[in-house]
Amino acid sequence: MAVFQAALLNEVEKLYKKKKAFVAIILSLSMIVLGQLIIVGVRTGFGVRGVGSAEFPILVLSVVVNTILPLFTALVAIDSFSGEFSHNMMRITLTRPVSRFKVFSAKVTAISLFILANLLLLLVFSELAGFLFNANSASFGGFARTVLAYLVSFLPMLVLALGIVLLANIFKSGISVFFLSILFFLVFKVLGVFFSSYASLFITTHLDWYNLWLAHSFPGWKILRQLLIMAGYGIMLFTAGFYLFDKKEF
Amino acid sequence: MDKVIEIQNLSKLYPNGRGIHEINLDIYQGDIFGFLGPNGAGKTTAMKVMTGLIRPDRGDVRISGYSVIEDYEKAMAKVGCIIETAESYPYLSAFDNLKQAARYYPGVDHKRMDEVLELTGILRYKNEKPRKFSLGMKQRLGIAAAILSRPQIVILDEPLNGLDVEGMIDMRKLIKHLAETEQTTFFISSHLIHDVELTCNRIGVVYNGRMLNVESMDSILKNYATLENYFVSEVERNGRVPSRAS
Amino acid sequence: MKLKKKTAMLMSFTLGTLLFATTALADIANKSGYEQLKDSLKLTAEKASGEFDSFTLDISFVVKDNGEIVMSQNQLEKYDRKNGASENTFSNEDISGRSYSGYNYFDKNTMIGFSNGDNTYHVTEFTDERKFNSFDNPFKQEEAEDVEKIADALVGSLKDYVMVNENPDGSRELSGSLSEVQIPPLVNAVSSFALKQEFNRPYEQRGLNLSKDIYVKEVKGTASVNKDGVLENVLGTAVLSGTDAQGKAHEISIEILGKMTDINSTVVTKPDLTGKNVVKEVAKSAEYGPEFSNPQKFVGKFKNDIVIEKDGKLVKAGERIVDITSIDSQSVSGRYHEEYAQGFEQMASKDKEFNFEGTFEQKSSRNARLTINTDSSKTYNGDMFFDEYAGKIYFNVNYLLSRRGYDSNYSPAFE
Repeated sequence: MAVFQAALLNEVEKLYKKKKAFVAIILSLSMIVLGQLIIVGVRTGFGVRGVGSAEFPILVLSVVVNTILPLFTALVAIDSFSGEFSHNMMRITLTRPVSRFKVFSAKVTAISLFILANLLLLLVFSELAGFLFNANSASFGGFARTVLAYLVSFLPMLVLALGIVLLANIFKSGISVFFLSILFFLVFKVLGVFFSSYASLFITTHLDWYNLWLAHSFPGWKILRQLLIMAGYGIMLFTAGFYLFDKKEF
Repeated sequence: MDKVIEIQNLSKLYPNGRGIHEINLDIYQGDIFGFLGPNGAGKTTAMKVMTGLIRPDRGDVRISGYSVIEDYEKAMAKVGCIIETAESYPYLSAFDNLKQAARYYPGVDHKRMDEVLELTGILRYKNEKPRKFSLGMKQRLGIAAAILSRPQIVILDEPLNGLDVEGMIDMRKLIKHLAETEQTTFFISSHLIHDVELTCNRIGVVYNGRMLNVESMDSILKNYATLENYFVSEVERNGRVPSRAS
Repeated sequence: MKLKKKTAMLMSFTLGTLLFATTALADIANKSGYEQLKDSLKLTAEKASGEFDSFTLDISFVVKDNGEIVMSQNQLEKYDRKNGASENTFSNEDISGRSYSGYNYFDKNTMIGFSNGDNTYHVTEFTDERKFNSFDNPFKQEEAEDVEKIADALVGSLKDYVMVNENPDGSRELSGSLSEVQIPPLVNAVSSFALKQEFNRPYEQRGLNLSKDIYVKEVKGTASVNKDGVLENVLGTAVLSGTDAQGKAHEISIEILGKMTDINSTVVTKPDLTGKNVVKEVAKSAEYGPEFSNPQKFVGKFKNDIVIEKDGKLVKAGERIVDITSIDSQSVSGRYHEEYAQGFEQMASKDKEFNFEGTFEQKSSRNARLTINTDSSKTYNGDMFFDEYAGKIYFNVNYLLSRRGYDSNYSPAFE
């Protein structure tokens, strides 16, 4: 466990010291500012409330889970694998007394922490923006629901990240992994629209599953099924990704 | 003397036909082992297998009694190494690079990190990022990271790469120093034969993926004028029969 | 150890695959409430257009502002598929407070319309029996599939907000409710804006003049499906909240109720028109306009006044005269000219006098296409419409229409 902790600390430190994480934070924040500006514009221009303070974070979430969040997750996941494959940097870690399984898990955990941090950051700032600019419908229940929606969005994002990790272990170049990820993302999104009855099989559909948690009458079975599908995806992708990583020669 | 590295029937064949065949080799504590061979003979392949970067087709490597294939963490616990080139994270300072390595060893503190930077002569660059480092400085940082944990075994693949004359002398001193003061065992590959002659006390020659001979430096120098003569004669003797059935 | 690792990987991958495959199958088999609702809607439409002999639909739509009804529409539709007849009774009150109600009857040979406003039955009789389906399946229409896809995409992950309650007898209750947090904010904003445009009538007394903080507060609905899968009852409510310019808060609720009753036991009866105020028309079939019963009565002069402004007053400068010299069900011909009163003769010109000839259109037998030859031998196009009930004609000639102040509505000249 101590070895895993060391590996995880290392991965987190690398993530933190790189400019990418910083850029991700800045872009996330500018999304919120931009969103709030649009809302204020809509409100004065059309007289439509747009959103109340409770809904602004959900609006932000609904946009980011399909845009910047998968984008940053992809960038970080690709950087963590392809980026280190390309300059033999993987050897720095791999020649230390740490098993490949622990390295792989530590990388995945670090990516998870990044996703979580990004979500929490968006949550805090969108709540703040919500309170500052739309303070007419605040309630504790609404707040709790918002937090829940952000937290459950972590899971599909993690499955997505595992998919990208698998791709990064299949293809050499980080750029091709990036574009393939985007391509897959768009294809699954489109398939989800055209085959809506099978939509729940695509990872991209699960990105919106926080909606289920917001329902008045809690669709428990549906949530359980989605959870199991995501768990199945997660286990498959993690195992496949690790299998390739373990076999890789550096 | 204790065997610290046992290489048993090690084989690894690449799709292009190159690789290593049935290598057997024992390294004893206190050895400064020189691993000699022309380019492409399989030195790096053997060392990559030893450090777990690639898996062998057959055979095993045991370090301190643990198999690198099955017990990687325990096998590598007392090993420091540089394979091919000394790599470092360009976006982390020299000190942070060492910190990354230090986390895997419970006994390494900041004092020790400064110590190895001092030993390798780059202490004053401790807060700079390797992005701006010369090849030699990167190599020194790599050595610092390799010896950071006071390893009992140090595996170095071409450690003198990129070092200037002064650097080479420093490096030789450092190796001798560690071997004397901490009884560190070294496994060094190099093509700089003169330097190997000055540094190492046992020599193994690898050619075409096979181990040709292992002898102590003392007995080599008894029979040959220089290590170079020995090496040339070993290679020539085997090179004339280029493809012995494999 | 090595073997153990491989086995572990294999097992974990298999576990993942199994987990995924079984749940995925279960998930596909398990239709969401939304899918069930869609299915029963389709089934109902299909049965209504192909299986039921007759049925009654009761549809009402009410908009309330803080509990007060501001707009309503009620419609009772009876369909008799077997005999190819349908009738509906409606009463509406629009947002400006105008109310109107009426009745319509349709069968293969007849179309009857009655509006309480003029107390007259408008009867159209078709000489050829028309093809008439009392109820068309809306899902069989061309755009239906695309509309469904778009709806699916919009509903997205809200699909599972529809809850299903199954009763022991096989019938089901579907219900769903969305509060402001659950409605996707973008959907909320767009629909708020659309509803605002729909209801705001700033120049009328009863308009709902919401100007600030408009948002959809709640949307909920229930539906009951009988044991055959037929949708019998649908109720939908949406609540829109906002404040008007005076700062008063409004809650606008929009309710839609639909009921399907009397399946196979609805009777559609043709109204008895004896002693009622009736205007009758005959048309070849539903595709054609009503027939021109007696064109001859339009022979003669029709005129209207040429009105201009002079010394700050409107004065009659003369008359436009359409003189129909001959007309039958195929063609019409005549002459147009203008006569000026004393003091306005200088306005006359050769262009304003010409002969015209026209032929009636096939499908709309009261409308004639005209060719005009002016005395200065120029050719123009135009058309003419004969209003049988008002006894008026509409004389539209392109180059006359382009002149300022031209009036195409002519009345008979009785002298």
